[in-house]
Amino acid sequence: MLENFIAGSAALFGDPFTIAIFVFGVIGGMLFGAIPGVSMLTLAAILLPFTSDLDPAQGVMLFAVIYCTGTYGGAITAILFNIPGAPENAPTAFDGYPMTKQGRAGKAVGAAVLCSAIGGISSALVMMAATEPLAKWAIRNIGPPEIFALVFFGLAVASSVGGRTIWKGWLSVLLGLMVATIGQDPVGGIERYNFGFADLAAGIAFVPAILGFFAVSEIFVQAEKKVTGKYDAPPVGMSFPTILELWRYKIAVLRSILVGFFCGILPGIGATLAAFMGYGEAVRWSKDKKSFGKGNLEGVISSETANNAATGAAMIPLLALGLPGGALTAMMVAVFQMHDLEPGPLVFYNSPDLIWIVFAAMFYANLSILIIGVMETKTIMYLLKVPFQFLAPMILLLASIGSYIGRGLVLDVVVMFVAGILGFLLRRSGYSIPGIVLGIILGKIGEQNFAQGMQMVHYDLVTYFSRPICSLLILAGVLTLGFSIYQAIQGIKQKSPAS
Amino acid sequence: MKHSFKVAFLAAGLVAMAGSANAFECKVKEASMSKPGGFPDRALTMIVPYGPAGGSGQVAAAMAEAVTSLTGVSINRDHKSGGSGTVGMTAYMAAPADGYSVLEHIDDASSAHALDSSRPNPATDLIPLVTSQVTFSQIYIRTNETRYTDWKSFVAWVKAQNGKATIANVSKEGSMERVTMKFITDSTGMSIQQISFDKGAPRYGALLGGQVDALYEQPGDVRKFLDSGDFKPILTIFNDRPGVFADVPTHREMGMDFEPLLRFRGFYVHKDAPKDRVEWLKWAFQRGYCEDSYQKFNESKFMTVIDSYRDTEGSIALINATIPQYREVYKQMGLDVK
Repeated sequence: MLENFIAGSAALFGDPFTIAIFVFGVIGGMLFGAIPGVSMLTLAAILLPFTSDLDPAQGVMLFAVIYCTGTYGGAITAILFNIPGAPENAPTAFDGYPMTKQGRAGKAVGAAVLCSAIGGISSALVMMAATEPLAKWAIRNIGPPEIFALVFFGLAVASSVGGRTIWKGWLSVLLGLMVATIGQDPVGGIERYNFGFADLAAGIAFVPAILGFFAVSEIFVQAEKKVTGKYDAPPVGMSFPTILELWRYKIAVLRSILVGFFCGILPGIGATLAAFMGYGEAVRWSKDKKSFGKGNLEGVISSETANNAATGAAMIPLLALGLPGGALTAMMVAVFQMHDLEPGPLVFYNSPDLIWIVFAAMFYANLSILIIGVMETKTIMYLLKVPFQFLAPMILLLASIGSYIGRGLVLDVVVMFVAGILGFLLRRSGYSIPGIVLGIILGKIGEQNFAQGMQMVHYDLVTYFSRPICSLLILAGVLTLGFSIYQAIQGIKQKSPAS
Repeated sequence: MKHSFKVAFLAAGLVAMAGSANAFECKVKEASMSKPGGFPDRALTMIVPYGPAGGSGQVAAAMAEAVTSLTGVSINRDHKSGGSGTVGMTAYMAAPADGYSVLEHIDDASSAHALDSSRPNPATDLIPLVTSQVTFSQIYIRTNETRYTDWKSFVAWVKAQNGKATIANVSKEGSMERVTMKFITDSTGMSIQQISFDKGAPRYGALLGGQVDALYEQPGDVRKFLDSGDFKPILTIFNDRPGVFADVPTHREMGMDFEPLLRFRGFYVHKDAPKDRVEWLKWAFQRGYCEDSYQKFNESKFMTVIDSYRDTEGSIALINATIPQYREVYKQMGLDVK
């Protein structure tokens, strides 16, 4: 492995043009990930036709680098402005943005930079060591029942995040789950809750919903404060976390690497589930669950470690089996095909040089997040000094563009504003915005896999629970749920006059 | 009713079989065509109702590249995915009928109209510019499968499972896959659970990992798994054995008497677009099909195994034969045909 890695590094840094492509990918991915309204997918789509003129290794390497740095880039706007650059950065905003409001933006961003790099590098190392056996293990042992069980396990802690009471937390999650059922059902294609609008047949897209619930509702909240004279500009905290501070979260980092890697390796799942699951596990194992959603550094660390840990993992089914994990890895398939190559088992035999240049580039791209991330962030953080009356319209404009650009539908902009108004009203009443977003995203993934899983076992629950990984995860989820209900009832008893 | 059903199928079959795979010869002789009134003087927009990485996204990219290289006119692809093509179709029908917007769509547009006639009919509400991919389906198993090794042993094994065997496909209500599976199960008397995966990766992963027992797919989409030796076809759902699958029996050889439904992808323009512009677009897209880059793309996708090309009239005939075919089956399936 080391020999191949050195050869890949030599090939990567032995040619000035390849270095230029690498640097372009690193900076481009970070910028497109960080600028609200566009994403790494936008950059990838723009670049796709041009990759035909590149050497196959350069083309695939460019996309792999954009994937690594773009996944990190979206964390910056999530933390500073409550605008996640992509769905996989949404959990970063849960605690990152409250930290910004508390004047701790530097700590949040610093943690995101470091943990993205750690998550990405760790998964790149595992990817180099064991791509083929891991991919084969994943597709043999993890099917729709296990993915549903994983989602259920994740949702079981969702009520703890951000709500004023656990009941409001649950109601928020249930609202998200209900929104997730809009559109065609995942098995028969039966249309639900589209009220005659053809555009709703595809359901509510993640990006406009996230931008609405986070960015737009936040602008309304701040605007209300401005009008009522309660607005205070967030202090710009530039101090980065110390090594000692971060060392305290070593277990959270390790756990998120494992969670992120596990989710990333599943075909068609990718970094979004990884980030939400990483965040959910941080909440589950924390002694102070109520601090999540209110500016807990561990929330940022867990989410950012997990989503970057998913990037290397997502390359495993792509390269070993030809199965892309998400939208960007699916575009990588097109890059392979433009050069008459197919990702899959044969690529290891036919193009080992290409594979090792890509592996080396992903390793160095994650490393460069550390260096360039710190420099870039120090510049971007000055945007916080822009007065609210100028910043708010700019964010609204960028969020509107971001909502529209995905599918080119005005409906998505409307959805964003409706979500913004709804989010504003629900936040005033103590409901949980992270809970709603968790419900929407995990609901869609969960419903599809539940339906597929039930079909696979012929609607026989005994067979369903005879799958060990599935039954373990469901059991753990049920126990978590039971414990959370017990805690809620205890809370009511303590508040009642009789006690 | 059964008689009319068979007649409709026969007609569809004749249309489908019009032309077998011969050496490629471009059917559009004119190498250039003057732009009518300067049209187009700006980039065209191609609405694609599916994502960029799937079969439609790829064919749209390949055709856009070929037309641009032929004419010098840029084509911006606008992916409006979701709702099995409904979102993209609705957006296209709302776009100005000035010829600057074209649509990529697949046979789903025909089957959607067959089920609900208020949905646009691609043969009358649109003008087909060219159908550039026509392909058949196959049933695949893992190459290292030991429980069954060919179609006959597969059917016997499935029957022994009493409905507990599984096959991965895109089995949305009324889809080509589900209709064909109904033909197969009716003909063989076997009962098999269809698992619907809307994305390719989890679908193929399900077979590779042994989560399902078989896969229903078109050969171009699983070519890499065929080349790597992971999958092998055990049944071709087409009237003749295509040359590259000469050792795979067809459904007819296995005693199934139904006309195969084909997957086809093509390009359309609104019926109200100015006629001279439509003529230019027809030339550009039909000639674009002949471009080397497009032919190379089709070859890589097994799309030259049978004749993939239909001009406007051929496309209309294909759609007109397909719609009644679906409609009859939907009625048989008890679906609410509007």
